[in-house]
Amino acid sequence: MNQLILASQLFPLIGFVTIVFIGHSENAVARISLFFTHLMGIAVVGLLSVWVYSGFPQHEYEWFTLYRSGEYQFPLVFLFDKTAAVYLFCTWIIFSVIVRYCRYYLHREAGYKRFFLTIFSFIFGLNMVILSGVLDMFFAGWEIVGISSFLLIAFYRHRIQPIRNAQRAYSIYRLCDFGLLLAALLLDVIVHGHNHFIELDQALDPVRSENYLELTGLSLLLILAACGKSAQFPFCFWIPRAMEGPTPSSAIFYGALSVHLGVFLLIRTEAVWGDHLMARLIILLVGILTVLVASISEKAQSNIKGQIAYASIAQVGLMFVELSLGLQPLVLLHFLGNAFLRSYQLLVSPSIITHRLRVQGATDTRVDLRETSIIQRAPEIIKEHLSEVLQTTLEVIAVQEFNLEATVRSILWDSFRHLGSVISKTRAWFRWAMVFLLAGVGFGIAMAGLSIRPYWAGLLALMMLTLAVLAFTRKRDPFKTWHSVCGSTVCAGVSTWVISHGVGSYLIWFIGTILLAWILGSLAMWRMRANKDYEDSPFVYRAMAERAPGLTLLLFVAFLGVVGFPISPAFVGQDLILYYTSIDHAWLTPLIAISMVLNGVSAAGIFTRMSMGLPYDLTQRHMHDHDAGIPRGH
Amino acid sequence: MVMDAKRQEAPVDFDVDAGIEALSRWLPTQNPIKDFIQQNTLACLQDKPFHEALAIAAKIYGARSYLPLSYYQARYRSGRISPHSLQYALEMIEPDSTRRLSLRDKVLRDEPETFSRPTSIAQHGVRSLWLTSLEVNLDALAHPILFRLIGNFLDQGISQWSIAREGESLWSCIGRMVRASIVSLHPFQNPESREIFKMDVDDAIRYALHRLAGKREYFERYLLEMALAHPGWSGMVRVIEKNPQRLLSPRNIRLKDFLAVELAIQLAILSDRCGKTFPSVSSTAGVKAIDSLERIMTNPLLPKTLRVWQEAFEHSLYIELLAGLKKSATLRHKNSQPPLAQALFCIDDRECSIRRHLEEVNSSIKTYGAAGFFGIDFYYRGVGDIYPVAQCPAVITPRHLVLESVPDEGSPLKKTNTETGHLPFGSRSLMKGWLFTQTAGLGYAVRLAFDTFRPGSNLLKLRQLSEVDVRTRLHLLRESDEPDAEGRLLGFSRQEMAEKLEGLLKSIGLVRDFAPIVVVIAHGSTSTNNTHFAAYDCGACAGKPGAPNARAFAQMANDPQVREILCARGIDIPETTLFVAAMHNTTSDEVTYFDRHDWPEPIPMPLVTFQRSMDEALERNAHERCRWFELGPSAKTLAAAIEHVKTRSTSIFEPRPEYDHNNNLYCVVGNRDLTSSLFIDRRSFLHSYQPADDLDGSTLARILGAIIPVCGGINLQYFFSRIDNSAYGAGTKLPHNVIGLLGVANGVEGDLRTGLSSQMVEIHEAARLMIVVEQVPTIIDQAFSQISHLMNWLDNEWVRFASLDPSDQTIHIYRDNGWKKEALPPDFEVPTGRWSMDVYQGKTETIPVHYLTRGLA
Repeated sequence: MNQLILASQLFPLIGFVTIVFIGHSENAVARISLFFTHLMGIAVVGLLSVWVYSGFPQHEYEWFTLYRSGEYQFPLVFLFDKTAAVYLFCTWIIFSVIVRYCRYYLHREAGYKRFFLTIFSFIFGLNMVILSGVLDMFFAGWEIVGISSFLLIAFYRHRIQPIRNAQRAYSIYRLCDFGLLLAALLLDVIVHGHNHFIELDQALDPVRSENYLELTGLSLLLILAACGKSAQFPFCFWIPRAMEGPTPSSAIFYGALSVHLGVFLLIRTEAVWGDHLMARLIILLVGILTVLVASISEKAQSNIKGQIAYASIAQVGLMFVELSLGLQPLVLLHFLGNAFLRSYQLLVSPSIITHRLRVQGATDTRVDLRETSIIQRAPEIIKEHLSEVLQTTLEVIAVQEFNLEATVRSILWDSFRHLGSVISKTRAWFRWAMVFLLAGVGFGIAMAGLSIRPYWAGLLALMMLTLAVLAFTRKRDPFKTWHSVCGSTVCAGVSTWVISHGVGSYLIWFIGTILLAWILGSLAMWRMRANKDYEDSPFVYRAMAERAPGLTLLLFVAFLGVVGFPISPAFVGQDLILYYTSIDHAWLTPLIAISMVLNGVSAAGIFTRMSMGLPYDLTQRHMHDHDAGIPRGH
Repeated sequence: MVMDAKRQEAPVDFDVDAGIEALSRWLPTQNPIKDFIQQNTLACLQDKPFHEALAIAAKIYGARSYLPLSYYQARYRSGRISPHSLQYALEMIEPDSTRRLSLRDKVLRDEPETFSRPTSIAQHGVRSLWLTSLEVNLDALAHPILFRLIGNFLDQGISQWSIAREGESLWSCIGRMVRASIVSLHPFQNPESREIFKMDVDDAIRYALHRLAGKREYFERYLLEMALAHPGWSGMVRVIEKNPQRLLSPRNIRLKDFLAVELAIQLAILSDRCGKTFPSVSSTAGVKAIDSLERIMTNPLLPKTLRVWQEAFEHSLYIELLAGLKKSATLRHKNSQPPLAQALFCIDDRECSIRRHLEEVNSSIKTYGAAGFFGIDFYYRGVGDIYPVAQCPAVITPRHLVLESVPDEGSPLKKTNTETGHLPFGSRSLMKGWLFTQTAGLGYAVRLAFDTFRPGSNLLKLRQLSEVDVRTRLHLLRESDEPDAEGRLLGFSRQEMAEKLEGLLKSIGLVRDFAPIVVVIAHGSTSTNNTHFAAYDCGACAGKPGAPNARAFAQMANDPQVREILCARGIDIPETTLFVAAMHNTTSDEVTYFDRHDWPEPIPMPLVTFQRSMDEALERNAHERCRWFELGPSAKTLAAAIEHVKTRSTSIFEPRPEYDHNNNLYCVVGNRDLTSSLFIDRRSFLHSYQPADDLDGSTLARILGAIIPVCGGINLQYFFSRIDNSAYGAGTKLPHNVIGLLGVANGVEGDLRTGLSSQMVEIHEAARLMIVVEQVPTIIDQAFSQISHLMNWLDNEWVRFASLDPSDQTIHIYRDNGWKKEALPPDFEVPTGRWSMDVYQGKTETIPVHYLTRGLA
């Protein structure tokens, strides 16, 4: 069974690597993909059979521990139970169908290889999430899924709109990912290393009453993470906007699999939030609000994919409701039904024109409140005036989808933007004066013989936050943004080093990785910039993926390094930083988390702006070849 | 109030209607997607010479004008562009001989691949300069709001709630939403921004332009750049404004309202972001340096090297056909044997190969070509259809309505709903959705797996628009002369029938020697999961399958009383002749025969023979088509080929059910024996014509009146979508999302995409249509004088035109200054082959015109 679990987990990765190295033609890519899909299929079916044969056990398998530092450890633990079985089964079926479907559907498409690479990395991440037995590994898979989604939304990188929507989805992901990361660390702190999913109940029971506050915060963070990934209230808006890739990729990601991951997270962590009445109520409320928002927004969607997306979100909202009521088996059944139905609907969505014209003709689509029974019974004055107002209000709400996008944006990001523009408007002398002042205070404290370390750490944290906010706001010059992002991340590392004992050598790794990423990224951008003078049109997407694919790859790797993607040492590093600060200096943790969220979003912004877009000739240099005017009468 | 004071400031000398009229020239004119009609993408510039128009359009739309240099050079190296043609093009474009030599060097020189493309005025004009200086990405903020409103307003049946009230214009609809709603419409949260909706549309536009564009001189430019930032929606609104009947549920919409709403949104956003007073376009540094529209129009810059290559490329291709025709004309022999059957096809280039195969299978079958509505124009409503559709080229407005009816009430047809198959789009309401996903949702796992791994099993039983129930009848004969509410006549009188038949039969020259069987074969296409299905059907039927026209034609021609009238007019159809209607499915290569209940019992022998020959021809045709399908059958047998094309038409994951009009290039108007022994590789529209019967050019004028816009439109639509798929075409179809049953867009917030998707044009060779007419130039000139409204197609070289003298086979090419005799290169040898299959077997590129010996030589 252990071997089968490993096989299910690793075949997608091996497939990915094989495509990278020997997928030179469309045919080769297709053959490798089909081969590894079948291998994974065999592993999954084998796993399921063995599991059924041995009587549906809850099976845990600890592979090895990736990293250990004091009480903190990062083990690779797999857990296979009923929930994992259902999710893995569904993933396998849909993935096989999609791979087969795309073999033909994507034929001759530019980016064929890129597409298959991305869906393989997606499945790798997804299987990791499904099979993980501990929240840290869960998080790693979660991140991989997030980056793959980002790449697939921006698959058609020539058009600005997919790039922008990818960026938006990524910013929501980034926010919620940090919710999950903090939750994982907080859990570690509470249960002191007994963080495997199956031992959570036992580990938490003795500490429930004394850690009531922490557990409440933990539950909230988990709910935030789940809401973001599953597009629940108030993040309902991003799934429809994410339907930018090829139709099958929308089907697999947003119709079927990735949208249900939030539900999965909540099932896995029920031990944490299950005993909290408040958490249950919040989940119930989120579910109900989502159902309301999604089903009303869906009514006014004039495009078929948006409609399917909202219908799917509404069903996930119902799953949240079911979860909060403790109806787990129903949730699993519901998940299967919704996943298959939405995939199918998305895949055949182009048929809608034939369907509607033939079966229905144009339907009469007016909202008419006047015919509802409540209004019928109301006094005349309401019937005449109020119903018109109510009806228009309903139309406005539905058409602008509760205006959630603008609201969330202004709540989350606009305050940082505002702060950033205030900072960047300050004069140079003022900034220097501030630096001297703060340094002076530091010396003062040192002279007074007080503990200086927290002060320096605070100063570094302030710098980290300032740089992060500046990077988030100033977009005119990608170099400045990049330096700010890297500087901010290094500050985070150094400030932790200043106050926490025993973080030790791993921080060197972290800072080293960031510095390396910084150098690589700067180098790539510097080379990209050569001979190209874009000062006049700073906001144009520069399409380097076309002009300089090698440099773009380099920049991408640097980007992954800076955001702490699970392949880079910075991933464990950022875990560690947050872990240590959350033990000793809890005040620092949210600051670091916020700057990391901002830095991730800014770094993604740089990457998209440099590498994607349509290659325009901004300098009009192609005109040298032209003659003026046209000879007539030839 | 504040607003009133500002309104006073706004210049009143701006005529909004004239401004809108002027800018609407530049908008695409594509219909709602259910009536996709192929047309010249740059029809707005058709009054300019072809290359000049390309250069202007490049600047306006930011589009490429030609294919990349490496494409042409590779073709030159492989011999498909001949040195002779290159020399010809050089001489034409560079009269000066020394400069020509240096141009020749430049043309042949290798240049590194350039990725850059020209910038458009929408993306890099005065507006973008202004917005860059403001550091506001205005379009990113305004477009999603605007598209959501207009999409819902115009929706034809996707959304369940529509904001449009009956007869309400867009401007007053949005005004109502802004004023009457308790929750404010984003971005009009600020009460001041709502004031603008108190004005009438014209004032609102003037006021907003005054605030945004500043000085009067930038008004037009601002509007144009704004409208071209989303050409799809602007164009769609304009098309509906001009032809409201294109919508099934009508809407009161004008481009003016649409642009006014956009201006109001922009104003609200900018006031919110940049404060109440923000700099306008005219106060931005550097706007003066940007080229004006007049300058772009009067001073186009033409890339010379690519123009040389394009001309050389086309000339090479034209020579291939002209030499082939000349050879075939000299070698042709009259077949005196009376034909066993005559088959009348559409001129469509896809029928070019099936005709060749049919004649190859059975040499006693003679084929004819005519525009696929067969000269009968009418509105048609089939059994189960909700709306009647026009069955004729888009330029004609029919006066007749024909209904399909069920003859025998006793044998009920299956209900349409069940025939359409169950598509799971109904389960979107919440509780139903909940029950549905809990129960039946799992079933979709099975269905999904089945559809993907066993396509062709046709689980998704969509009844296609082109499928016709064979038991129904057309109600053709008019019983009363009362027109209906829309002014249409229900059916035709016998006199009218005879006139329609006479017109067509005379134009194709089929007026005597009728065979015992005349089969009228329309064409249509079935494909699953295809948004652009209308683009695959008959162009001469305005993007519909031609089946009703074929049925009408056969039914009329079988009517004894109609035959009597025809006989009096000199067309004597023997009593023994039977007209049979059929339809060729160009995707699955199947032929359906209609109205079998009218066939005599037993089925006449010639018809049986014809059906057998047809079946074999279809297999061969499928086999020939399969050479283009990279993922085609591995076994190269006929049976595998026909099986493969059938699967293609039913598979849900096939973005290329067929290659449609790819590589269309020629149009030959002449006797079939001119082309019957040529292998033209499915590249030619073929119209039958008897030059000897047309002494005043009037028949030719009628033919050209239909084929120049229809075939020219198809050709140029393909041309432009191929040249620059992202600017003129719809891009790849994989991410397309159906919007309001009006069109497709990328994703949820995208602009409507016009033109053809990349999958539809990827193998097309972008070259202009060459029409060759078998007639002497003097008579053609007479025909031209009757179609003067179409002459800018020819004079400005949007299509090319040649005449082939029927008596001595001299060739003349038409130019804007008259006819020029074309001498074929002396060393040009027309390649020959025995049978079609010998020519195409193993080839994956386009094949030059071959002369087929068919075992004679």
